[in-house]
Amino acid sequence: MSRIFITGMGLISAIGNTVAQNRKALSEGKCGITRLELFPSKYAGRLPCAEIGISTKALGLELNATEPGITRTTLLALHAFEEAILDGQLSAGQLTAPDTALIGSSTVGGMCLTDELYQDAQKKENGSEYINSYDCSSVTMYIQKRFEMTGIVNTINTACSSSANAIMYGARLIKSGLARRAIVGGADSLAKFTINGFNALHILSPFICSPFDEDRKGLNLGEGAAFLILEKEEDIVNKKVYASLTGYCNSNDAFHPSSLSAEGDGPYLSMKGALETAQLLPGSIGFINAHGTGTENNDLVESRAMLHLFNTPPPFASTKSNVGHTLGAAGAIEAIYGILNLYHQEIYPGLNCLKPIIETGLMPVESYKKISLQHVMSNSFGFGGNCTSLIFSRS
Amino acid sequence: MRPMFYIHQTACISPQQTFGEVDLTALHQPVDQRLKVIEPGYENIPPVILRRMSKSVRIGMGAALSLLKQFNIPDGIIMATANAGFEDCFQFLKQIVDYDEGILSPGSFVQSTPNALAAQLGMFTHNKSYNITHVHLGLAFENAMTDAGMLIKEHPANTYLLGAVDDISPYNYTLNFLAGWFKNELFVLEDLYDLDSPGSIGGEGAAMFLVNGSPMAAMAQVRAIGSVHSDDLDLVNQQLKHFLAKQLTAGEEIDLLLSGEDGDNRLLKYYASCEKMMGNEVAIMRFKHMFGEFPTSSALALWLACYILQKNPIPRHMVKKNIPGKEYKNILIYNTYKGAQHSFILVNRASAD
Repeated sequence: MSRIFITGMGLISAIGNTVAQNRKALSEGKCGITRLELFPSKYAGRLPCAEIGISTKALGLELNATEPGITRTTLLALHAFEEAILDGQLSAGQLTAPDTALIGSSTVGGMCLTDELYQDAQKKENGSEYINSYDCSSVTMYIQKRFEMTGIVNTINTACSSSANAIMYGARLIKSGLARRAIVGGADSLAKFTINGFNALHILSPFICSPFDEDRKGLNLGEGAAFLILEKEEDIVNKKVYASLTGYCNSNDAFHPSSLSAEGDGPYLSMKGALETAQLLPGSIGFINAHGTGTENNDLVESRAMLHLFNTPPPFASTKSNVGHTLGAAGAIEAIYGILNLYHQEIYPGLNCLKPIIETGLMPVESYKKISLQHVMSNSFGFGGNCTSLIFSRS
Repeated sequence: MRPMFYIHQTACISPQQTFGEVDLTALHQPVDQRLKVIEPGYENIPPVILRRMSKSVRIGMGAALSLLKQFNIPDGIIMATANAGFEDCFQFLKQIVDYDEGILSPGSFVQSTPNALAAQLGMFTHNKSYNITHVHLGLAFENAMTDAGMLIKEHPANTYLLGAVDDISPYNYTLNFLAGWFKNELFVLEDLYDLDSPGSIGGEGAAMFLVNGSPMAAMAQVRAIGSVHSDDLDLVNQQLKHFLAKQLTAGEEIDLLLSGEDGDNRLLKYYASCEKMMGNEVAIMRFKHMFGEFPTSSALALWLACYILQKNPIPRHMVKKNIPGKEYKNILIYNTYKGAQHSFILVNRASAD
């Protein structure tokens, strides 16, 4: 079976509008979490959030995407998508070929327009321009239409592991012969809906988050988008290759709608399954980009699952301390961060952890390091117990 | 050609009598211009859990658990939906507005995610295996079927629970109504296809399938799926032609077209063109007057295809063109959602070749 290579990447987050800007910010330990300013909300100016500092209008103008009904989530997706296809040097012919798949993902979709949706859903007549834009698939379908793509198109929503599953699905399409290449990723933007939702669950930190710290107070929401181009090894001639996708596994924690089981069966099984797909032993993983949301529940359970599987876990960190929790986009954003770890043979510090969790004693990476890496794991766990782990390897 | 998967058991909760004792003879009419499901008793779900479930989760669980009664734990749960969770989503939106972003109850927020059904199924049956939710609107179920086909190719001995659910809450009804997708006028279902006006009738339903790679005692096999994203009639035609040429062996023919015609005169051209391509010897049946229009309605069409392949009686209200004495072995389901997404599904009687 031919290997699956990553040949193009695009990313926009609170710490940079491109992959290169993100890498620089990660290397410098930059944190993109500030106070919410993006839209009117009771929490504006108060709650720490990882916003992208470009207005929706400016994004639309920059991308020449000013059609009525286009949402911020779609614009973020388009931004990352354009960077990825440029970086991967995909020709117009390849983009529109019937064997090029597009797999998107989102949890918020057009619901970033919380107030508009509330009004439209109760009107008797005259719906707003966004009437067809609220669902998650509208983001993927905008890209499909704009680039006249004709291959398999799909949108996945498994909450916070959505785009990790998009990556896995794209790889499986290629392996099964249903696609020759796949453009995979996800996007989510900050919304009054999710801010109030996570707030109601009491898992939003009033401070900047501190993943894996004994005194962590919860997560900060972020926004962003990332897309990756997956191609078959044999199709690649004279082209930059970042890494290969060697392992993936999706499993369910089957415990609770919004928290993980004490022993972390789902996380353990997804990490273990990814190793099995990659045919690797735990000891070969050189770094883990942890899910590490900064909540009481996630960080403890993920630590326990890592201890269970690895005995002595490899160096790990959570980039959610840089870009917040970008929900449906997180899996793809963090996959790119893991690929950057491999490609540049370096690891970036996890921020704000002062005191490791007492029970586990696990401390995330504290400073930027050059390091020799062969295999990197990326974890994404979502509501509904949807856990997915990916493994990237040096190509 | 190797089929994608074999279907061994099916369950369907719909606006018609499709669950338990199936009886499609009498047509159940819409209420408030929408076709709402006939909900069963849910004896498998404890009342305290049932009360907290949204309608989409309830009907999805009801249909799925009826299959899992006999088959304990599938090797994965593959769900498709476009609006599951929307009812809770709106309840939470309402809280945000009513309480001015104050202290809110998180229940409806947690249930508002479309993966709630697959998650609840995993939790309820202690199933820790593959679990996914495809949400690609009018092709969500087609993508879920593709996923199931790939999984069976990857793990030939496994059995999967494949299904789809969509429900019609007042809120997604309103959004689609405002966008012009539902008819304004009052009518009886028998007249749906003759009104010559834009829009269809809103519907809902859940269909569940146990699928694997074994032809032994299977009800049906899904041979292939094709999909198109375009409103260009010529392109859709060309893709359908290409699909049939590729999938049908020499001399093999479609016996029955299950058409997704939905009474929207703007979409009629796609269905008319597909019918024309089928030729004179192909029977044509319709299903949207039974289930209504919703993004994953092709899952209910697949349930109907299995029902027909089992040689069950076909109600007269489904028949657009009858070919007397014909035995149905090869069924093509053609469906479009809003003219922008199209799918072709080739289903036939399971054969062990």
